[in-house]
Parts: sequence; C-alpha cells; structure tokens
Amino acid sequence: MKKILLAAAITAMCATAFAAGKDLKVAIDATYEPFTFKTADGKPTGFDVDIANALCEEIKRTCVFVEQPWDGMIPGLLAKKYDVIISSMSITADRLKQVDFTDKYYNTPSRVVLKKDVKYTGPESIKGKKIGVLKASTQEKYALGELKTKGVEVVSYDAQDQVYLDIKAGRLDGTVADILEVGGGFLSKPGGEAYELKGDELYIPKYFGGGAGVALRKGQGELKTQISAAIKAIRANGKYKTINDKYFKFDVYGK
Amino acid sequence: MQSYFWVILHGSLLTVGVSLLALLVSVLFGLAGAAAKLSGKPVLVGLATLYSTIIRGIPDLVLMLLVFYGGTIGINTLLEKMGSEATVDIDPFMAGVLTIGFIYGAYMTETFRGAILSIPKGQMEAAWAFGMSRFQTFIRITLPQMVRYALPGFTNNWLVLIKATALVSLIGLQEMTYLAKQASAATRSPFIFFMFTGALFLIYTSVSLFVLKKINARYSLGTKRGQL
Repeated sequence: MKKILLAAAITAMCATAFAAGKDLKVAIDATYEPFTFKTADGKPTGFDVDIANALCEEIKRTCVFVEQPWDGMIPGLLAKKYDVIISSMSITADRLKQVDFTDKYYNTPSRVVLKKDVKYTGPESIKGKKIGVLKASTQEKYALGELKTKGVEVVSYDAQDQVYLDIKAGRLDGTVADILEVGGGFLSKPGGEAYELKGDELYIPKYFGGGAGVALRKGQGELKTQISAAIKAIRANGKYKTINDKYFKFDVYGK
Repeated sequence: MQSYFWVILHGSLLTVGVSLLALLVSVLFGLAGAAAKLSGKPVLVGLATLYSTIIRGIPDLVLMLLVFYGGTIGINTLLEKMGSEATVDIDPFMAGVLTIGFIYGAYMTETFRGAILSIPKGQMEAAWAFGMSRFQTFIRITLPQMVRYALPGFTNNWLVLIKATALVSLIGLQEMTYLAKQASAATRSPFIFFMFTGALFLIYTSVSLFVLKKINARYSLGTKRGQL
C-alpha cells in the first residue's frame, strides 16, 4: 500500500506519459542534412523523418518528434523521454550493449576521399598521407584499424565540417566519410572540386556496423518486431522508394 | 536563410529566461550557503563546505547529465520496481534553471561569504546591541553593504552563468546555440550563424555589464574611491 502511495505521489508531482499510448515519441537530432534537419519555419524534415512517419503509419500510431542533441541521445532513451530513436543511428556492437535495434532501414557505404590526381590502390598506396576523420565515428574505427596500421597518419576531429575545413586549408590529404555526407557536404561544394571518391565502397561490418536502425530500449520486444515488420512492408509497397527518390539518386537501403 | 535568423533570435529569449531565473536560484543558494558557512554551527558549515567543494569541482556538463538523465532514470526505475506503468518526464526548462542555479549557487556562496567577511564585525555587534534580531541585522546592515563587496565576483559569476546556458541544449532545450547548430547544418554555412549567436551573447553580456555598473555606482554612494 505504502509503495502504491509513494508511486502515486511521485507520479502526481511530475508530468507523466504512458508508454502504451497512441503516440510514438521519436527522437531526432535535426543537424544532419539531408537525413534530419529543420526547415526555416522550424519543421523537422529529411529522410529519417519521412521514414519515421511512414513506419508510424504502418503500425498505426502517430509520430511525435522530440528534438534531442546527439550527446544525450541514448541517455534520453534510457530515461524514457521518448520511445525510439530514428536519427541515422548506426547499429554497432557498443550501442547494442545499451540499447536494442530493429532491422536496418538504410545502409550507405563509406569511402576514401582524396585529391583526384592521387593514385589509390589500397591503404598501402597512401602511406605517409594525412587523413582526417570524425571522432568516435565508424569511419574513425576503420581508419585506425585499416589505414593507421599501414602507415597512414590518422587525425580525429570533433565535427566532420572541421575535417573539410582542414582539407581546404591544406593540413589534410583527405578523409574517410559516408558517401552521402561527403557528397553533399564537400564534393559538391566550392573547394571540393579537386577531390573524388577512391577505392571500393566500404561495408565491413566489423567497423561500420550493419547500417542505421531504429533504436529502442531493451525489453521493447513487441515494438521492435512491429517496426522491423513495418520496414519490410514499406520496402515492399513502394513507400520507401518514393521517399528514397525524393532525397537520393540511388537506393540507400544498401547491401 | 533569413528566417533561420529569426528562429535563433527567438531562441535568445529562452537564453535570457533561463539565465535570469537561474541567477535568482543561484543567489538564493548562495545566500543560504554563505549564511551556513558563517553560522559557526559544525553541521551547517560541513554541509555548505561539501556543497561548494563538490559542485565547484565537477564540470557543469557532467552535473547537468547526472541531474537530468541520472535523476529521470533513477525515478523511472523506482516507479518500475513499484509496479507503476507511468514514466516521469522532468520538465527541461525547470531542470535547466534548477541545475544551473544550483551549480552557480556554489560560486555565489564563496562570493557572498567573502563579501560578508569584508564588513567590519563591529557593525553587526552594534546592531545586536540596539536589539535587532539576527535577521533584521542581515537585512538592514549586512546586505546593503555586502552588495558593494560582492559585485565584482558576482559580475564574473553572472557572465559565466550566461554562457553556461548553452549547455541546456543538451537536455533538450532549444536555446540559441543549438538552434544555430541546426541552422548551420541545414544550410551548411556554419560561420554566419555562429557569428550571429556570438554577437547576441555579446550584446546580452554588454547590457548586463552596463546595468551592473549602475548598481555598483548606486551602492558605492558615500564611499571614497582609492586613487593614486
């Protein structure tokens, strides 16, 4: 009895939300164009957002978007601020220790980016060159595991934009980045004309994980099954393709 | 592009709101802390020392994460253990105000303590001799005089506090730094938005400095300024 009273008291003191309601609270970090970003009038938009809405429609719930900076993404999920994360979060072994993931909803490969006149035949061919990568990213793991061991100098940065700035400033020879990110953020921008994608598309699961999935708390098994099924459904009924073609020239679902 | 500036400008109101309320909270914590430290009662002195030592020794960012996420996760786990289906959602605005206020209260404690110590003890003894209670002495004698001594340190704390509001974006509040980050990500032109945000902060701190200078002049009436 006492416990119930205490629970009721704590509940009464704070705003409460019931997880099993009709709304599905979806966390996004709207700083990752074209996947999640905000239009000038403040509306969340992008590939992730459209996919989330399509998935919600499939499981007959309403998506309510909660904006959350990347640093607090997983803590916020664990603190039940929202039900799921649909914000281009890659499925990695480290994250799986804390949260659960559905099947992937997209998987774009990363590639090495260098000046056009550099001959690239594999990591050994750029020995001694300086490559910048995003700190704590899947690309950093790859660079440390495959490039640094072959004598390439790897420098880590707090933001991918800083890598581009340093390439332009001549302090770096290139980067390893997601092909979409580097395409939109660097190659198609002024200063990026002299650079191009080199080598194979990198999919190695050991470094890059298994693509981006919907993250949820452990123990949300039913929701996980529902969303994974919904991803299959929108792949099959063409909704995925419609959204995909709105943003990209090729199928980002990947291998 | 232009409407992103409006969004950021709008976000600056949140920055002002959070910082002013947090200042109020920190002053209350600071006065309480200083009073406790000077009370001479071992338990109170111990508690206040613990407060100012621990809080000033841990990065704001870590405290913010601990209070907001740690607190919510703790309460939710507790509710789950008791078999309740409900989940608790701490309001980020209040959480931000209270956390920043609590952190800067520790700095205020030291500032106020120093200011109170600068007032000759004879003045308080004289007030007690006139039959004023401890509270009356504080309001009538100590407070008006300590303002002058506390202002320089207070000004520093306030400026740092304003800039600390940029941290509340971490707990989901959209203040102007986070909005600038979003705008720069959407348009891929970071410098212009961050410079705009920097300018807004500078305007805010400059206005604060001007107001505090006026307050300082008011409370320095009747005192001679040192000259060489």
